[in-house]
Amino acid sequence: MPEICRRQFLAASGALAAAAALPTPAAAMELELGGKNFHQLRTYQARMRSHFTCTLCPYYDGGFSYAENGRIQKTEGNPDHVASRGKFCAKGLASFLGAYDPDRILTPLKRVGPRGAGKWKEISWEDAIAEVAAKVGEALAEPDAIVVNEGGFTDGPAARFLDTVGSRSLLRSCTAGLGGGAKQSALKGMLGSAFILPDMEHSKYVLNFGCNILETALPLAQRLTDGVVNNRLKLVTFDVRLSNTAGRSNEWVPVFPGSDGVIALAMCRHILEKGLADNDFIATWTNTTAEKLLAELQPYTVESASAQSGVPAKTIQRLAVEFAKNHPATVISMNGVSRRKSGLEAERACLMLAVITGNIENEGGCCLPRQYDIGVPQPAPKRRDPTPPPLNHAFPFQVITGMRKVKVLINHRSNPVYSAPAASVWKDALKDEKLIPFLVDFTPFMSETAEFADLILPDVVGVERHDLVSSPTALWPWASISLPTVKPLGQARDVRETLKKIVESLDPEGQKGMKAFWAFANAKQWVEQACNATPGLEGHYKKLTVKGFWPDYGKVDPANRQVIKDGEPLVAPYGLHKAKGFATSTGKIQLTTPQLQANPRHENLKPGEFVLTTYKVAYHVLSMTSNLKYLSEIWHSNPLWINKESAKALGIRDGDLVRVSSPVGYLVTKVSATNAIHPQVAGLATSAGRTSYGRVAQADPELIAPYAQPLLVDEDIVDNVWWRDKGVNPNEIIPIAAVTQNGEQAWNDTVVSIAPAQSGDVHGAIHVDNAKHIAIFKQLMG
Amino acid sequence: MEESVVTYNAFHHVAWGTTISVYFWLVGASAGSFVISSFGWVFGLKRYKPLAMTASATAIVMLLIVPILLTWDLGKPVRFIYLLIPGYWHSTGPMAWGTLLICTYPMSMMVYSYFVIKNDPTFARITGIVAIVLALSTHWYTGVVMELNPGRFLNHTALAPLLFLTGAFISGIGLMNVVVWVRNFFLPEEKKIDWALIHEMAQFMMYGIVFDIFLLYLDFMQTTYGNQNEVMGHDVVLMQVFRFPYLWLELVIGLIIPLILLTTPLKRSKSVAILASLLVAVGVYGMRVWWVMGGQYLQSFY
Amino acid sequence: MGNQEIQPKIPRSYGLQTPGSKGVAGKKRYAMVIDLRKCIGCMSCSIACKTEYGLPLGVWRTWVKVVDKGKYPNTKRVFMPRLCNHCDYPVCVRNCPTQATYKHEDGFVLQRYNRCIGCRTCMVACPYNARHLLPEKRTDDNLPRMVVDKCTFCIHRVKKGLVPSCVQACVGGARLFGDVNDPNSEVAKLVATETVTVLKPELGTSPSVYYIGADWEIMDEPHSYTNRTDQMVDEFNDFKRNHKGDAFADIIEGEPLMSEVGKNWMGFLRTIPHKAKETLHAFKIFLFD
Ligand SMILES: Nc1nc2c(c(=O)[nH]1)N[C@H]1C(S)=C(S)[C@@H](COP(=O)(O)OP(=O)(O)OC[C@H]3O[C@@H](n4cnc5c(=O)[nH]c(N)nc54)[C@H](O)[C@@H]3O)O[C@H]1N2
Ligand SMILES: Nc1nc2c(c(=O)[nH]1)N[C@H]1C(S)=C(S)[C@@H](COP(=O)(O)OP(=O)(O)OC[C@H]3O[C@@H](n4cnc5c(=O)[nH]c(N)nc54)[C@H](O)[C@@H]3O)O[C@H]1N2
Ligand code: SF4
Ligand code: SF4
Ligand code: SF4
Ligand code: SF4
Ligand code: SF4
Ligand SMILES: [Mo]
Repeated sequence: MPEICRRQFLAASGALAAAAALPTPAAAMELELGGKNFHQLRTYQARMRSHFTCTLCPYYDGGFSYAENGRIQKTEGNPDHVASRGKFCAKGLASFLGAYDPDRILTPLKRVGPRGAGKWKEISWEDAIAEVAAKVGEALAEPDAIVVNEGGFTDGPAARFLDTVGSRSLLRSCTAGLGGGAKQSALKGMLGSAFILPDMEHSKYVLNFGCNILETALPLAQRLTDGVVNNRLKLVTFDVRLSNTAGRSNEWVPVFPGSDGVIALAMCRHILEKGLADNDFIATWTNTTAEKLLAELQPYTVESASAQSGVPAKTIQRLAVEFAKNHPATVISMNGVSRRKSGLEAERACLMLAVITGNIENEGGCCLPRQYDIGVPQPAPKRRDPTPPPLNHAFPFQVITGMRKVKVLINHRSNPVYSAPAASVWKDALKDEKLIPFLVDFTPFMSETAEFADLILPDVVGVERHDLVSSPTALWPWASISLPTVKPLGQARDVRETLKKIVESLDPEGQKGMKAFWAFANAKQWVEQACNATPGLEGHYKKLTVKGFWPDYGKVDPANRQVIKDGEPLVAPYGLHKAKGFATSTGKIQLTTPQLQANPRHENLKPGEFVLTTYKVAYHVLSMTSNLKYLSEIWHSNPLWINKESAKALGIRDGDLVRVSSPVGYLVTKVSATNAIHPQVAGLATSAGRTSYGRVAQADPELIAPYAQPLLVDEDIVDNVWWRDKGVNPNEIIPIAAVTQNGEQAWNDTVVSIAPAQSGDVHGAIHVDNAKHIAIFKQLMG
Repeated sequence: MEESVVTYNAFHHVAWGTTISVYFWLVGASAGSFVISSFGWVFGLKRYKPLAMTASATAIVMLLIVPILLTWDLGKPVRFIYLLIPGYWHSTGPMAWGTLLICTYPMSMMVYSYFVIKNDPTFARITGIVAIVLALSTHWYTGVVMELNPGRFLNHTALAPLLFLTGAFISGIGLMNVVVWVRNFFLPEEKKIDWALIHEMAQFMMYGIVFDIFLLYLDFMQTTYGNQNEVMGHDVVLMQVFRFPYLWLELVIGLIIPLILLTTPLKRSKSVAILASLLVAVGVYGMRVWWVMGGQYLQSFY
Repeated sequence: MGNQEIQPKIPRSYGLQTPGSKGVAGKKRYAMVIDLRKCIGCMSCSIACKTEYGLPLGVWRTWVKVVDKGKYPNTKRVFMPRLCNHCDYPVCVRNCPTQATYKHEDGFVLQRYNRCIGCRTCMVACPYNARHLLPEKRTDDNLPRMVVDKCTFCIHRVKKGLVPSCVQACVGGARLFGDVNDPNSEVAKLVATETVTVLKPELGTSPSVYYIGADWEIMDEPHSYTNRTDQMVDEFNDFKRNHKGDAFADIIEGEPLMSEVGKNWMGFLRTIPHKAKETLHAFKIFLFD
C-alpha cells in the first residue's frame, strides 16, 4: 500500500468521491451544463450556435461558438463531446477574440522599404497571388528551393502545395504535435504508434516525468482530477520546478534536469529485482524477458540515479515499489524529458516502467491512441518526403552557411523568429534578401516572423475556419468539426483557397498536372472531401455537421462525466493489441535498454550557473495568444524563477534585475526568488517578451500598427490595458541543440550564468552574438 | 510559520478617495462653524452674537461645495436625482439619510441666517435649533457611513461618529478663527470681531483637542489590542502607509502642537491662537485622509 | 479495490462546519460549492466569465488567487477562486442608497444598472472585493458603464436552465451550483456532508459560496498584503497607474503618500470635462427626448 497522504485521504473520504464511484449516476446536476447561450441582458432569444473545434493546441477540443448580430460572442466546450466533455481551457475560451483583434491583418500586405522595417502597403488579392505565383514559377526549375515552414499540427495544405510543385523542403522550425518529435520517435519505435493515452480516469497511480499536464493538456487534466476523486489516484510529479501540476501533485520530486531517464531505469531495475514486475506481460508482449532486462539494467543502480538526480535513493525505491504495487498505473512524460539531447532514450526509459508493470492497453494504464487518421482531398499529389529531414530547425544556420539554397520561403502558422531557439539567427537569415529572396507568410497576425515577409496573406482565424480534426484524447476515437457561422472578416481568406488560387495561376490550363490536386471549390469542400478520404469517416460528413463530432457515443453525465449510453455507462474497449498485436515489425513491444549517460556539463555547474528551463503556461499557446486581452491580462510577464536560497547565495533579492548569460549572449530580467524551483535551475517561461503582434502583446495600448483596421477598434484595449511589463523572450539566448538520435529540437540543456545586472541594463534588454550561435551550430555538425 | 507567497491575485481600486475625504472635511468644518454660530442665538451666549453671521456664512459656503464634489464623484452624476426620488430611497442606507441631511442642512442654515439678519431672536432660535441638529446629524452620518462597514475594520468602530464630530468641532472653530482673522483685515474697526472672542474660541478648541486625543487613544487601544486585522490596520496602514496623515498631520501638527500652543502662556499671543487654529483645521484633514482612504487600503489587496 | 466498489455514504465532518442555508424554506436559495481539492488553477472560470459578459479589462467578477506554500522542496500550490458570495445578509444591499442592488428571492444578489448612480458605497461595504465600477470605455458601449457591477450568479443563464458560465467552464469540475434548499441537489448534499467553510464567517454576512478544503491562511485578508512577491507589488502599482478606475484613492507603494493624494485630486479634476459632457448629454435626453 502506498503511504496515503493527508490530501489524498481527504479526497478519498469526500462524499463526491463516494458518489462518483457509484456505478449508476447520482442525481445529475439540476441545470444543464451548456449548449445554449444568451445575451447577458436580453435573454428572449438564444444566440446562434455553431460547431467549433479549438485548434490552438493539438488536443482539438470540440465545442460551440455562439454568434449574435454576425459577431462571435462566446465559445465553450460541447458537453456531450467524449473528449472535451464541455470543457475548454482559458485559451480556447478566449480564442474567438482573435477574430476581432484590433491588430489583425485583414488585407494582403506588401512590404515597402527594407525588410523588417515595418512599412506596408495594402495590395489586392489578385496582385498578391500573381506575385507569389510568379516567384514560385521562377523557382520551379529547382523545386527544393521552394520551402514551406509549417507550424500547424497537421501537414495539410502547405505540404500538399509542396508536393504539388515537387519540392521536398517541408520544415518544422518548431516541431509541433502531440508529444513532440523525440517522444513520438521513442513511442513509434517501441509500440509502433506515436502517442499513448494515459487512462488517468481509471488509474490508481500516476508517475509524471516532465509533463505539465494541468497546464498544457487540458482534456487529459480533467481526467486526472476525475482519477483523484474516483480512485484516490496518487500523482507523483518529477519536475525541475513547481509547475501547477507539480504544485497539485501528492508529491513533487524536484530533479536535476535531464535525470528522469536514469531515475526511470533505476526504478525499472528495482521493480524487476524485487520481483514486482509483470513477468507474464513482458514474456508475452515484448521481445525480451524479465531476466534479460534485469541483466541489461545492471549499470542503472538506484544509487547512481540518486547521485545524478539528487533524489534520495530511498525515495526512488519507495516510488518504484508504490508504482509497481498500485495496479493500474500510468506513466506520463513530455517536453521536460524529451526536449533534450538524451530525450529519445529517456522517453524510452519512462515508457519501460509502464511496460514492465503490464500497464499497457489496460484500464487505468497507458493506452494506445484511438483516433481517426484525417485524410486529404483526393486525388492528392504523391507525398515526397513524409518525414522531415533531421535538424530541420537548423534551417537558418543552413541558409547562412550556404548548406541550403532557398528561392521562396512560405511560412504558415509558425513563428520561429520568436518561438524557435536561436531566434536571433532566424532573424538574421530572414532579413537577408540574398539568402531568402522571397518570403511570404500566411498569417492573420503580425508575428515577429511576418515582420520580415515580403508579402503577408491574411489567413482566416479559428472561428472562421472549416476544419475536421481528430486527436487521441479519449478512450473512443472521435472526429470533430468547425462550421463557421460568421464570414471571414475583411479580406481574410482561408489558406487552402489561397493556395488553390496560386496553383491555378501556376497551372491555368492544368497541363502541368498541378491543378487537378486543387479541384475542391472552397474550404468547406476541402473538409467534405477530407472526411470522405478518412478511413472510418467515409460519407459521414452530414452526421458530423449535426452534433459537431462523430461517432455519437451517448450523453456525458455532467455529475461524474461518464458517457451514458441507453442509461448505462459506456464501457471502453481495452486490450486493443490482443487482436492484431502492436504495430511493430514483431507485433510485440520492442524493449531494449536505453543508453543514458550523465551530462558532464551539468554535473560541474559553477556557482552562479544554472540550467535554463523554459516552459509553457496555462494561459498562452506559445506565440499565438499574446494579443488576446483576457489572457494577457492574467499572464503577461515572465520573471526569472530562481530558488530562494540560490538567490541569497548570489546576493540577489526578489525583484532584482539580473543578467542571464548563455554562451551566445545575455538578457536582462527581473528575478522571482521562490521556493518553487530546484536550486540549480533557472526558469523562464515562454510566451512573453513579444516585440511584435500588437498592442496587447506588447503591453503598449498606444502602439497603433499601420495596417490596423479602424473597423476593429476596441475601446477596452485603448483605455483599459493596465499592465506595462511584457517580460522577455528566452529564445534568443538559447543556442541550437538537438536530440542525439533524431535531430529534434532540444532546448532544455542550456546552461546560463546569473549575476546582478550592471549599470545601464534595462529590463527586457537582450544582447546576442550570432557569430557565437553559428559557432555552436558548426560544433554540432561536427 | 510556514512560508507562503501570493503569486497571483486580482487587483482592486480603493472605491472612495480624495473627493470623499475632502467632502468629509468640508462637512465637518461646516458643522463645527455652525455650532459656533449658534452659540449666540441659540444658546443665548450674547458675547458670541457678532460671530454668528461669519460662522454661518463659512458653514454655508463650505457646504455648498459639497454637493458639487459629491455629484461629480458619482459614476453617473446626473443620477444624483435618484437619491431624492422617494421610490428609490433606501431606508437602511446611511447614504440615503445623508443625502437628505446634505440637502436640508444648508437650507436650514440659510433660513436661520435670514432671521439672524432680520434680528428676530425667536425665529432665529427655533430655526437655529433645527439647523444645529441637522449640522450635527450631517456630520454624525459621515462617521456612520464609514462605520457601518463591518469589513473595513479600521472604520468599523462605534467611536467613528464621535471622532468625526469632535474633529468637526475643532476644525470648525479653527477654520472659523482663520476666517475671522482674515475678515478683520478687510473690515472697518467697528465691524471687526473682538480678539477676546477668538481667544475664547481657541480655548473651546483646546477642550475639543483634549477630547479628540482621548478618543484617538481609545481607538489606539482597540486597534493595538484588537484582532489580527485591526492590529495590521494599525501597524501597516496607520504606522506605515498613512503615517504622514495619521501621525504627523493629525496627531502632531493637528493636535499635539496646537495643544501645547494653547496650554502654555504662549496662548495669549494673537498669532499663536491663529496658528493653532490653522494647524487644527489642516490636521483634521489628515484624519479624513487616513480614515477614508486608509480604511479601505488593506482590503484592496484581498 | 476497483472503482466500482460502492463506498459508504456517511456524513463526515471534521472540525468547524459552516451551517447550510439560512434562506427561506420553500424558496430556492442558489449557492455555489467550490471543491478546492479539484481546482487546478486553469482560470477557465475567469475567462468564461469575462467572455460571457464582455467584461472590460481591470475588473473581475471572479478570479483565482494563487499561493505557493512551504519551503523548498516541500512546496505546494494552492488555488483560491473568488467571486461574489451572494450573502444572505449582504452589506452591499444594506448600504446602497438607491436600492440599485438588491437580494432576489432565490438568493441572488443583483444589480439594477439603470438605477445605480455609481456612488460606490456598496464597494466600500462589500468585505470581499466582489464589486467593481465598470470603466468609462468598453468594447460594447451599449452595455453599462460607470456603474457598479459584480457577479450575478449568471441569473440570465440559471433562469434559462443553464449552470453559470464559470461552472460550465470549470475544467477541474471544482465548481458546483444549485439550490441548497433542495435536499436532493448536489450542492445541498455537499454542504451537508462535507466540511465546508465560507469567507470571513465572523462578519455575519452568511455567504452562499462554500469552499471544500479551503486553507485558512489564504482566506485570510492580511495575508494577501504581507505575503506578496515583488512581482505582485510592481503589477499592482502598474494597475494603479494605468487603469482608469475613477476611484481617485489608489496609492502607489513606494511613492510619497501626500503626493499620491495630490495626484488623485488631479485625476478627479481631469474627469470633470467628460462627466460634464455626459451630464449635458443626459439632460438633453431628459428634456428633449
Ligand atoms: N497552455 C499551453 N498548452 C499547450 C501548449 C502551449 O503552448 N500552451 N502547447 C502544446 C504543445 S505544442 C506541446 S509540445 C505541449 C507541451 O507540453 P509540456 O511538455 O507539458 O510542456 P512544457 O512546458 O514544454 O514542459 C513541461 C515541463 O517540463 C519541465 N522540465 C524541464 N526540464 C525538465 C527535466 O529535466 N525533468 C523533468 N522532469 N521536467 C523538466 C518544465 O519545468 C515544464 O514544467 O503542450 C501543448 N499544450
Ligand atoms: N524556449 C522554448 N521554445 C519553445 C518551446 C519551449 O518550451 N521553450 N516550445 C516549443 C514548442 S513545443 C512548440 S510546438 C513551438 C511552437 O512554435 P510555433 O510552431 O512557431 O507556433 P507559435 O509560436 O504559436 O506561432 C504560430 C504563429 O501562427 C500564426 N497564427 C496564429 N493564428 C493563426 C491562424 O489562425 N492562422 C494562421 N495561418 N496563422 C496563425 C501567428 O503568426 C503565430 O505567431 O515552440 C517551441 N519553442
Ligand atoms: S486544451 Fe485549450 S487550447 Fe488546447 S484544444 Fe483544448 S481548448 Fe484548445
Ligand atoms: S460578497 Fe459583497 S457584493 Fe456579494 S453579496 Fe456579499 S457583500 Fe454583497
Ligand atoms: S454604486 Fe450603485 S449599487 Fe452601489 S451603492 Fe451606489 S447606487 Fe447602489
Ligand atoms: S456565476 Fe456567472 S457572473 Fe458569477 S463568477 Fe461565475 S460566470 Fe461570473
Ligand atoms: S475553472 Fe475550475 S479548476 Fe479551473 S481555476 Fe477555475 S475553479 Fe479552478
Ligand atoms: Mo510543441
